[in-house]
Amino acid sequence: MKKVKNRALCALLIVGLMVLGLSVYIIRFALNGDDWVSAAFNSTVYNGGVLSVGTLTDRNGVVLAGITDGSRTFAENADVRRATLHAVGDRLGNIGTGALTVFAPRLIGYNIVTGAASLTGQGRTVALSIDSRLNVEAYRALNGRRGAVMVMNYQTGEVLAMVSSPTFDPANQPVITDDDPAFEGVFINRTIQAAYTPGSTFKLLTAAAAIESIAGIETRVFECTGSHTVQGGTITCPRAHGGVTLDQAMAVSCNITFGMLAIELGGDTLAAYTERYGLSGRITVSGITTAQGNFEVAAPGTADLAWSGIGQFTNTVNPAAMLRYIAAIANDGVAVEMNLLEGARTHTRRIMPSAMATRLGETMDHHTDANFPGLRMHAKSGTAEVGGDQRPHAWFAGYITNEGFPFAFVVVIENAGGGLAQAGPVANRVLQAAVRGH
Amino acid sequence: MEWLRGLPEQLAYIDIMSYAMLVIRFFLPFLAIVIVARAVRSLLKEKSEAETWGYLSLPNGMRIDLNHWENVVGRAKTSDVYMEYPTLSRAHAAVIRDDKGDWRVYDISSKSGAMLNGDAVTGKDGLPIKTGDLLSLGGVELVFIAIDEHSEYEQAAARTRPGVQFKQRTTLAFLTQFQILLGIHLTVALGERASVAVPLSFLGLIALTWVCYIFTRALKRVAFEVETLAFFLSTLGLAVTASSAPADIVRQLMLLIAGVAAFFVVGWFLRDLNRAKKIRWPAAIAGILLLIANLAFSEVRFGARRWLEIGGFSFQPSEFVKIALVFAGAATLDRLFARRNLVSFIGFAGACVLALAMINDFGSALIFFVAYLVIAFMRSGDIATIFLSVGGAGFAGLLAIRFRSHIASRFATWGNAWEYANAGGYQQTRAMAAAASGGLFGVGAGNGWFQRVIAADTDLVFSMVTEELGLIIAVVTVMAILSFAVFSVYSAGESRSSFFVIGACAASSILAFQMLLNVLGSVDILPFTGVTFPFVSRGGTSLIACWGLLAFIKAADTRQNASFIVKTPKPPVGDLIPREIITSEIIVPEVEE
Repeated sequence: MKKVKNRALCALLIVGLMVLGLSVYIIRFALNGDDWVSAAFNSTVYNGGVLSVGTLTDRNGVVLAGITDGSRTFAENADVRRATLHAVGDRLGNIGTGALTVFAPRLIGYNIVTGAASLTGQGRTVALSIDSRLNVEAYRALNGRRGAVMVMNYQTGEVLAMVSSPTFDPANQPVITDDDPAFEGVFINRTIQAAYTPGSTFKLLTAAAAIESIAGIETRVFECTGSHTVQGGTITCPRAHGGVTLDQAMAVSCNITFGMLAIELGGDTLAAYTERYGLSGRITVSGITTAQGNFEVAAPGTADLAWSGIGQFTNTVNPAAMLRYIAAIANDGVAVEMNLLEGARTHTRRIMPSAMATRLGETMDHHTDANFPGLRMHAKSGTAEVGGDQRPHAWFAGYITNEGFPFAFVVVIENAGGGLAQAGPVANRVLQAAVRGH
Repeated sequence: MEWLRGLPEQLAYIDIMSYAMLVIRFFLPFLAIVIVARAVRSLLKEKSEAETWGYLSLPNGMRIDLNHWENVVGRAKTSDVYMEYPTLSRAHAAVIRDDKGDWRVYDISSKSGAMLNGDAVTGKDGLPIKTGDLLSLGGVELVFIAIDEHSEYEQAAARTRPGVQFKQRTTLAFLTQFQILLGIHLTVALGERASVAVPLSFLGLIALTWVCYIFTRALKRVAFEVETLAFFLSTLGLAVTASSAPADIVRQLMLLIAGVAAFFVVGWFLRDLNRAKKIRWPAAIAGILLLIANLAFSEVRFGARRWLEIGGFSFQPSEFVKIALVFAGAATLDRLFARRNLVSFIGFAGACVLALAMINDFGSALIFFVAYLVIAFMRSGDIATIFLSVGGAGFAGLLAIRFRSHIASRFATWGNAWEYANAGGYQQTRAMAAAASGGLFGVGAGNGWFQRVIAADTDLVFSMVTEELGLIIAVVTVMAILSFAVFSVYSAGESRSSFFVIGACAASSILAFQMLLNVLGSVDILPFTGVTFPFVSRGGTSLIACWGLLAFIKAADTRQNASFIVKTPKPPVGDLIPREIITSEIIVPEVEE
């Protein structure tokens, strides 16, 4: 009997396995429960795939998405609805990065104790950091052109505007077919899910690498003849800039200067800086991972290498990633993680020395630019050639140092032409509204 | 504690009725913990003194107790009577008592032989032995003494009865409270979906619970923990039915009554060891016949042909065969030493597993296989044989996966349910979303949506319980089933016969492993096999079979007057004579030098 008794212990093996498996489940339950309840088929809080609890507002309490009689409604104003579509999301979650999807656990009021079943079934109110008024300004300024506008507070990381175009009215969602050019990529939030050829805005990176890596760069004078032939091709400028310093080269966006700097620095150095400043990797915006940029190391001494230092070749950069880099320059070299929730705590990380940030800021000086009255503007434009017979993408990225308005921005308009001419006015309109206040 | 912040704001909205429902919702897990904790602690903490059924006297006058009906005498420390004589074999002889109090001695695997009063002990039937007989094992001379009826009665009277530290009826009162509150919550929450059958069924359940308890007390039995746990689980089963199929609730209650009846019937068979042993072969043959009938006449449902329909009543034969498997597998000690006995059991178990594989019921096949492993190991203690059969089954499993696309697709989805949320992971992802929605306290019985998903109240019932009643109750439910296995192992040391030890461990292993497949399969930790959660899943055959298996666990409870399945001695006729006098009157024969 003693033997049989000892052998009986084998039944405890099953008990042990069950306890182990259950523990794994409980840990997963605690860690992933918020994701599980946010599945669109969870009828506790979704009705036909539409989140049926929770209210989203902007930073000023303007309701962006609410519940009326148990069904999902959006902002009262149609332009607010269109301008905040990508930040808020649509009914069915086609826009996967929308707040209705990403912040569903918060809207549901999920916690492990009461699960998704809040005591009243009302869900929670979540305030986004965006200002619907600025979004509307950006939306109107884009005027139907495809593109992305993003504005953030570079000291707190709060995203104030996040507009992607084309857009639609989520309250009266049109029938959208896959091949309709008017709605090309309409479910993509171009600020965080797209990556564009950066064009001359990339020169801010080449300059940073040059300032740190090349001795005597500040005293050097670069000679621009309008055209320079290197192995495998010719680097051109719209006109001959003559002898230019680094600041002048940046101000006139001299391709030859930065092309030659790229060759001097080498592809590996540029790639290292691109990675360090987050332009080729992915960043996160309130936990949303952005589209990945691209930087390809070209062969030494070639035109490809030169063009890669000017933001052409195969380079791509995500607008939010560019904004983060610009914001770090504005914030004395410290990158603040972007946040879409009002008053949320964020992480900060120094990505460049203070002196470098100051120096790069100087090269971006647009204080006296009549295009931006009243704005202490630091910016870099980009006119990104995209090949074929397409017009270039227009970029304008920078920040202002007006007292009380520590705002950085990025504007990209697809196939719009010159950066300063096309994207500049969009930035101006949004920032003027931001500075003027209500 | 973010959830606390919004609490006052949320509470301001709701009316008195909702408050009451809220209180019930948050109180039920507390009751569940109390019920299960009380029952389990009572099972493990109530004192159980060893029983003594006889003695072996050594030449030096030392007396060794025989604490079981089945005792191995030998040199190995694992023998029940162990003596360090070099001439003794490790497991030399077995001294075994039957129901009637008749003893036999068997030479099990001795090298030097065994003699009883000068005759060699041979053959599989051994020799009868009675008080005063001289047993010679490898030259070691022992006198056998069995205790008589008087001492037996006296011993029984002296042993502690359970129910002292934990009053059974107090635990039961908690269970009644649980049943009442759950019934109220369901009736209110279901609203128009609930007919009057729902509250009536809960009243019926409460009545059934107490009738069972009173019947037990009438049989002069005082322990009710095992039944309390099973009734707690069955209560959840009734709640699940009320929520998912309110129209079926009366039927479910009837099936529960049938299950309780099965419990008493199987218990009655087990009450007499001779009777239990005799039923082994008929049970095995009936099991095989059931499976053959299943193979021949069954219909396909949800990818497996596990249902058999007779006279409008459909049932799963494999559930009943589980009971047959335990009957066939359990064996008394004298049979454990003959390999031939194990071989016939392996044949039976193998046939069962094969039959289940052929009807595509791989979940049940796996349960049978694990039950087989437990039984085979307890009977032989032979790791090598076990590993061999595991290898064989592994190979067969691979073939099954290779050739049965249905199974293969489940393995492909395994661990990636969320990637296949609208294909192979459909049920598991819904299960997890619903479970997480319930949190620790649930959305409230009858308030869930998950019951609309196919098999929510059977194969996915763990998540349905989590959704409606919360993770706390779901975990407590798991603990209740596991406690059967822990108790079976725990009580093995005081068991009378290995038949009961093997029976209890096999039965509780089946319940525990079936639950393991159900729970872990439905939440994507194991491949989804689609087996039921013991007692809780809606459906008849499984419920009845679980109650039947429960009798094996109840049979292992040897605490005094704990189990109706364990006989107690009748009061002897005439005056009680103190034990000392009886034993001193026994004349111990002189041992020749």
